[in-house]
Amino acid sequence: MKTGLAYRLLGVLLLCAALTLATDAFLTVSNLLNVLRQASLVFLLASGVTLVVLTAGLDLSIGANVGLSACVAAAAIKAGAVELGVAAALACGLTIGLLNGLMVTRLHVPPFIATYGMLWVVHGITYWYMAGQTVYDFPEGFRALGSGYLLGLPVPVYLMGACLALGGVFTRHTTYGHEIYAIGANAEAARLSGIPVRARLNLVYGLSGAMAGLASIVYLARLNSAEADIGEPLMLPAIAAILVGGTSLFGGIGSLSGTLVGAILLTLVLNGMNLLAIGANWQPLVTGVIVVLAVWIDVATRRAPAAAGSPVRAE
Amino acid sequence: MPSTGRLTRARALPGVAYLLVVLLVVFSIFGGGFASVPNLLNIGVQSSVLLLLALPMTLIIMSEGLDLSMGALLGLAGVVLAMQLAAGLPLPLALAAALGVGAAFGLANGVLVVALGIPPFVATLGTLGVAQGAALVATGGQSVVGIGGALPALYASAWLGVPFSILVAGLVYLTFHVILYHTRFGTYVFAIGGNREALVLAGVHANLYHVGIYGLGGVMAGVAALLLTGRMNSGHPTAALGMEFDAIAAVIVGGTSFERGNGWLPGTLLGVLAVGVLRNGLNVMAVSSSLQVASIGLLVIVALLIDSARDKTRDKTRDKR
Amino acid sequence: MMTDTRRGRLAPVVVLTGMLISCAQTGDTAGDEIALFTKNQTNPYFQSIRLGAADAARQLDASLVHYVPTRPDSIPDQMSQIEDAIIKRPDAVVFIPVDFQAMVPGVEKMNAAGIPVVNLTDRSAGGQFVSFVGCDDHRLGLDSGLYLLERMGGRGNVIILEGVGGSSNSKARVAGFMEAIARFPDVTLLASQPGNFQRLQALQVTENLLQAYPQIDGVMAANDSMAAGAIEALDAANRQALVTSINGTKEAVDAIKAGKLLASTDCNGFVQGCIGTMVAIRHLRGLPVPAEFQFPQPVVDNTNYGDLDRPDEERSCPSWEGLTEGLLTPDD
Repeated sequence: MKTGLAYRLLGVLLLCAALTLATDAFLTVSNLLNVLRQASLVFLLASGVTLVVLTAGLDLSIGANVGLSACVAAAAIKAGAVELGVAAALACGLTIGLLNGLMVTRLHVPPFIATYGMLWVVHGITYWYMAGQTVYDFPEGFRALGSGYLLGLPVPVYLMGACLALGGVFTRHTTYGHEIYAIGANAEAARLSGIPVRARLNLVYGLSGAMAGLASIVYLARLNSAEADIGEPLMLPAIAAILVGGTSLFGGIGSLSGTLVGAILLTLVLNGMNLLAIGANWQPLVTGVIVVLAVWIDVATRRAPAAAGSPVRAE
Repeated sequence: MPSTGRLTRARALPGVAYLLVVLLVVFSIFGGGFASVPNLLNIGVQSSVLLLLALPMTLIIMSEGLDLSMGALLGLAGVVLAMQLAAGLPLPLALAAALGVGAAFGLANGVLVVALGIPPFVATLGTLGVAQGAALVATGGQSVVGIGGALPALYASAWLGVPFSILVAGLVYLTFHVILYHTRFGTYVFAIGGNREALVLAGVHANLYHVGIYGLGGVMAGVAALLLTGRMNSGHPTAALGMEFDAIAAVIVGGTSFERGNGWLPGTLLGVLAVGVLRNGLNVMAVSSSLQVASIGLLVIVALLIDSARDKTRDKTRDKR
Repeated sequence: MMTDTRRGRLAPVVVLTGMLISCAQTGDTAGDEIALFTKNQTNPYFQSIRLGAADAARQLDASLVHYVPTRPDSIPDQMSQIEDAIIKRPDAVVFIPVDFQAMVPGVEKMNAAGIPVVNLTDRSAGGQFVSFVGCDDHRLGLDSGLYLLERMGGRGNVIILEGVGGSSNSKARVAGFMEAIARFPDVTLLASQPGNFQRLQALQVTENLLQAYPQIDGVMAANDSMAAGAIEALDAANRQALVTSINGTKEAVDAIKAGKLLASTDCNGFVQGCIGTMVAIRHLRGLPVPAEFQFPQPVVDNTNYGDLDRPDEERSCPSWEGLTEGLLTPDD
């Protein structure tokens, strides 16, 4: 696992070196801070989903989740206070996550279908709720959460750091974390050895939703407005970051730091393409190739055994 | 020959079958014009492209994989088809080019998954990006027009009142039925999902057939491109993005699962029709768009809830004995 | 199979269908029924159009049915909706194609069914229409660009935020921008990138361009949402630049009042929705309508935003006579 992370960090460094040579605009403080900010946002969203993927599950509803949570938060902030908005977003995100967990654990709907169906339902609710409107113009203090700086670093970077630290402790040094990895490696064996699988799955889906709620606040602050389609383009980059970061869809292998490195790598690529004025039409191609390459390196070096689980399986 | 998981006609109907019946009844009663022949034919036409994607997806899912690149591939094949037609190539040759592109990407998927061991989600996410990128770069995001009269005429044609799309979809369905249930390839498909080791031990080149399953998916994206390009009278790079998710949902809702090569082709047809009937019925009833969006999600979830509720009771009654 | 789980199985189904029935709007009011096709549910521009259309329908005693793709801007979705709408036989259709070329067969289907169609906002590449109601996108881009460059003193660096790749509006507006730039030899175009008419994308693109180019004096955005994203990026980076956009939404007016946005050229969704619907209804009632409909497209800055400084819900359609009086028609 450590070697996987090492390869990836090497990849990040090589990419930075290449970009520095390719354009003057890359290696400036402001550009690097921008990259960090953008990567932090992707990481915040992808962190919860990483936990889900560790259990050999999947959460396709995170984009829609961000959309609804941001819109609910926007209305709450306008109606009351910023604190109300933050609470509303977290509550909304968590609720969606717990509903996903409920479908997967109690109702035995495969995660792919449960979260895909939830995606559509949440979109429908968001479209109805927003009725094509935009809610815009939020207080300065709130906006700093997304676009502000603290001691020279963008605020989202601190959130990312906190999430990484807390998440790292959670996954590596608590029983919960160990159990999550065990469930991903072999759910049946985990169940037999007394791990409360259902409860842990509800936990990870709930966390995935809650992190989407948190991410929605930061996106809202950054954009300074809420529209129904805020979350739509966010799902695939988050999942790509998780995959590039070395977390396996079969469960049991991966880490939050991997997801962060994946997010940074992909953000660097997009940043580079923008700075080099490579047309937006090339972006899906380049991203796709990188995802496959990153995973292939893992597979080739790891020689993973045959699939123990699959994201589309029901529990 | 291994027959693990091969299903007989005594199989229980998936929940989506009941939903389909309910939807048909409700829409016939409350949707003025729903139960008319033109509208029912419309549903068939509107569902045919999705069915062409969902059929190979059934095989892929039975082999414990999935293919996320189908929508992007459909777009690319459509663009290739349209460009060749616009350049003056006769329809059969242009179609061959589109099928060729589809097959190439499908085989690439197969090689990535089978030879390199990359998880299907990841491998096909990669080919999705490459196909989408290629289509976007080739067209600049625009439709490709000027495809001449041959394809539109073919698309608009009908035999004994049955539109061309439905004929193609029907033919393809029959072909897949024969492939899956009456050929050696089909048996191997069941086996690859159910008991791969046994197959290899029996001396079969399981890898080749496995790659072939993904290749078949790519070819079908090419065939679907024929229909979609005819429908739009142009090739569009991103028109079909997201359709692969609809196909996966239709397959799983229809009763195929990732477990043990358990696949049921008629179920896929039911899943595709249920979505088509729902969408059409909601439009005919002028239901608001946001409610339509939510309903599509609910359909998928409710169908599986029905299945899981039934499985639970069956297990309970079995335990009671 | 006949166990009491059958009740359990059917319960969610009954609930689902009950919801559908109760929420259906079967238009059975007497009077003309107009079907309005818009591109998506999320872009506020189309909501303005829908509100304008609803107001016009209300004023003229007609009923309005909406068709919006469930997947934003989806071509297959809109194609299916056209077929489904034809089954319902609306009296007339007001149509915005999600793709001005790919939807031509859909328009031809409506033509074949004998349903009169009014083309709104995006000029379709084919098919028969009663009228085209929309802005002159090239003029929008040109006027917007010229205004910006004149305010820049005719010199400096500009960037362009384009719309969606396949959109005819976007292409025409960008062509207008380019023509404006060509008239000022001392102005340099640094970059022209697509923002998909969306806020977040425009924000990220602008952010990256601010890194690539230390000196940006002007931003030409093809719509208000993207301008808002660009303004956020400029604010966050503590950089200054003059920004102009197109659409004339309430949000743009607020930004103009706050001094963040220089100007927005008016291509107003609300009014277009009004006129498109009025044209359809008038056509059904045998009243004369022009085949081409053009709008005055003033550049709205902090001197003349008065009219637009209201949310769409509070606006009402201008009278037909008032509109046709001031408008340019081909006869002028």
